[in-house]
Amino acid sequence: MPIEASDALGSGIRQDYRTTSGIPVKAVYTPDDVGDFDPTRDLGGPGEPPYTRGVHRDMYRGRLWTIRQLAGFGTPEETNGRFRLLLDQGATGINCVFDFVTNRGFSSDHPLAEGDVGQGGVAIDCLDDMRRLFDGIPIDDVSVSLVLSNPVGAGSIFAAYLAMAQERGIPWEKLRGTLQNDFLMETVVLTAPNILEPAFSFRLSVDVVEFCTQHLPQWNPISFAGYNYRESGANAVQEAALVIAHALAVADEMVRRGHPIDSFAPRLSSFFTADNDLFEEVAKYRAARRVYYRLFQERFHPKDPRSSRLRFHVQTSGSALTAQQPLNNVSRAAYHALAAVLGGAQSLHVSAYDEALCLPSEAAALTALRTQQVLVHETGVTRTADPLAGSYYVEHLTSEMEQRIVAYLEEIDGLGGLVRAVESGWVHRELMGTSYDREIAITSGEQKVVGVNCFTDDVPVQIELFRFPSALEQQRATLGKLRSERDQDAVSRALESLRQAVEGDGNTMPHLIGAVKAGASIGECCDVFRALHGGWHQPLL
Amino acid sequence: MSLIKVVMAKMGFDAHYRGAMMVARHLVQRGMEVVYIGNRLPEEIVRTVIDEDAQVLGLSSLSGNHMVMVPRILALLRQEGVERVKVLLGGVIPTEDQKELLSQGVSAVFGTGSSLDAIADWIEAAVDHGSDAVRA
Repeated sequence: MPIEASDALGSGIRQDYRTTSGIPVKAVYTPDDVGDFDPTRDLGGPGEPPYTRGVHRDMYRGRLWTIRQLAGFGTPEETNGRFRLLLDQGATGINCVFDFVTNRGFSSDHPLAEGDVGQGGVAIDCLDDMRRLFDGIPIDDVSVSLVLSNPVGAGSIFAAYLAMAQERGIPWEKLRGTLQNDFLMETVVLTAPNILEPAFSFRLSVDVVEFCTQHLPQWNPISFAGYNYRESGANAVQEAALVIAHALAVADEMVRRGHPIDSFAPRLSSFFTADNDLFEEVAKYRAARRVYYRLFQERFHPKDPRSSRLRFHVQTSGSALTAQQPLNNVSRAAYHALAAVLGGAQSLHVSAYDEALCLPSEAAALTALRTQQVLVHETGVTRTADPLAGSYYVEHLTSEMEQRIVAYLEEIDGLGGLVRAVESGWVHRELMGTSYDREIAITSGEQKVVGVNCFTDDVPVQIELFRFPSALEQQRATLGKLRSERDQDAVSRALESLRQAVEGDGNTMPHLIGAVKAGASIGECCDVFRALHGGWHQPLL
Repeated sequence: MSLIKVVMAKMGFDAHYRGAMMVARHLVQRGMEVVYIGNRLPEEIVRTVIDEDAQVLGLSSLSGNHMVMVPRILALLRQEGVERVKVLLGGVIPTEDQKELLSQGVSAVFGTGSSLDAIADWIEAAVDHGSDAVRA
C-alpha cells in the first residue's frame, strides 16, 4: 500500500487511514506531533498521577493481571465443574456468567424462559443453587467476578452469594470480587421483557455500592461495562466516555447520599473491550486513566490517591470474532489480549475461538486460557511498565482520545447527566448509529474482515460444537422444592419489607438478603421491583 | 402501493438486540416496513404476524434458545394457516441446527457476519409483494 502523508490530513481521507473511531492517522509521526506534550504533566510515572502509565508502580512485575476466564452454562453443578477445570489449569480468578433469565431476575420456570435456562450462563434461582455453584471453591482466597449485569437481579443474586458465604463461616470483609451491576446494561445495551425505569435501575445499583462500602471493603460493587457498550455499537471514544460518565454519576449519587468520596471511590471498577485497532485500544486505556484521574480530582477532591485511579478488567472482543474460518479467531483474540496488556489491564478474559458459533467448548476455553499463558510466559510483555510510552504515535493518539472523550463527556453533562441521557434515548441512538455505520462499511467491503468479505472460502466449518443438556428440568425441580419446603409467611413478610424499602428510600440490600434467606426465589424478589418500577419502553427504533 | 412488511422479534429472554436492530434499520433503508416487537412468546409473535399481515417474520437468536423456540413458532404458523410467511432466522445458529430448522420450515438462516444487503436482497427476491409495489 503506498504511503502518502498528504492523505492523512483534511477531509475525504481513506477509511483505512483513520482509526476505528475516526481519528485521522498520518503515515509517520515525529516530535512535532506531540507538540505541547509534557511528560511530567501528561504521563507521570507508573502508579503516579495522572496514571496514564498504569495504576501500579511496578505494574506486572509486582502483580500480574488476573487470568479470569468467563465460565457459566447449564446447572450450578456443571458450572462448578468448569470453575474447577479453569482453576486447576492455571486461572487465577473466577468469572461467572449467568443465563439471561437469572441475570434479569426471573425464575427459570417463567413461560418465556423455556429456551434460555442455562444457555449462555448458569441458571440460579435461589440460595441453594448458590451453595452448589460455589461448592468447594475457596471464595475466601480466590477473587470472584459475578457477571450480574442488570441491577434488577444483581442485588438479590449477590444477596444469595453473601448468605452462602455466611453459612460457610466466611466473613464478608474477606470476600474479594466484582459485580457488574450496571444500569446501562439493563436499559441500553441489552433487551428483555419488562425493563426497569433507568433512574430506578440506577438507584438499585447504587444501593449495592452503598452496602458494599459499609460491609465488603474488598469487593468491587460495580463495574462500568464499557465492553458491552462497545459490543452494542459504541466506538472506542464512546466506550471510554460512557464508562467515565457512569463512574461520575455513581460518585455524585454516593456523595449525595452522604458518603465521603474516599469511602467508596477506590472500589469503583471498570470493564473495557480490546478490539481490532491495536494502537487505538492502547491509547484508549491510557487516555481513559488520565481523564478519569483529572475529573475525579477536579470534581471530588479525594485525599486517597486510589479514589481517582481507573482500574479495569478487559475482555477481548466477541463481536470481532467470526463464524467463518473460526480458527482465525485465535489470532484475533491474541492481538486483542496484547492490546489489553500493553494498555495496563488489571484482569483479562480472552474470548474463545468458537464464540461466534456456540458457547465455548472445553477445548476453546482452554486455548483462550493458554493464549494468556503464552502472553505471560513467552512474549516478555510483562517485563516493563507501559512499554509504548513516548511513542510519537501512541502519545499523539492518547491525547486525541483524551480530547474526544472529554468533549463527549461535556455533551452528556449538557444533556443533564447519564441517567437523563439514557431516559431520553440519546445513548441508544448514539450507539445504534455508530454500529449501523460500521455494518454498512463491512457490507460494502470498505471495512475488511478476513474470511468474511475477503479471503473467503467454501470450506465447511469443522470444529466440534459444545452441547450440554438443558438445565430447565433441574431448575424447575429446585423451585418446586423451594416453594414446598419454605415458611410461606416468612417469605411474604420478607417480600413486603422489601416492597416498603423500595417505596421509601431505604437501601434494598438488607431486605434482599433477608428475603433470600427466608426462601424467596430470585424471581420473586425482582418481581417486587418490576411491580413498582417496571414496564419501561426501551427507545430502540 | 404496498411495502414489504417484516415483523422482527427476539425470542424468550435472548438479550442481544443489536443484530436485529441493524437488520431492521437496513430493511427500512431499503424501503420495507419493519415492526419490531422485542422479546415475546411464540404465541405473541405469531399473533403479531397475523395482525400486521406481514409477509416476513425475522427471528433473532444469539443465546442458544433457537431449537426450543423456532419449531414452536413454525408449528403455530402452520396451525394458524399462515405458513406462507417467510421466516428468516439470524444470529448464532450452528450449521446442523440450521439444516434441521430449514427442513422444518425456516425459509433462510443468516448467521453472524451476514451482509445486510444479502438479507434485504433475499427478502425482495422471495416475497411476492404484488405488482402495485414500487420501491426505489
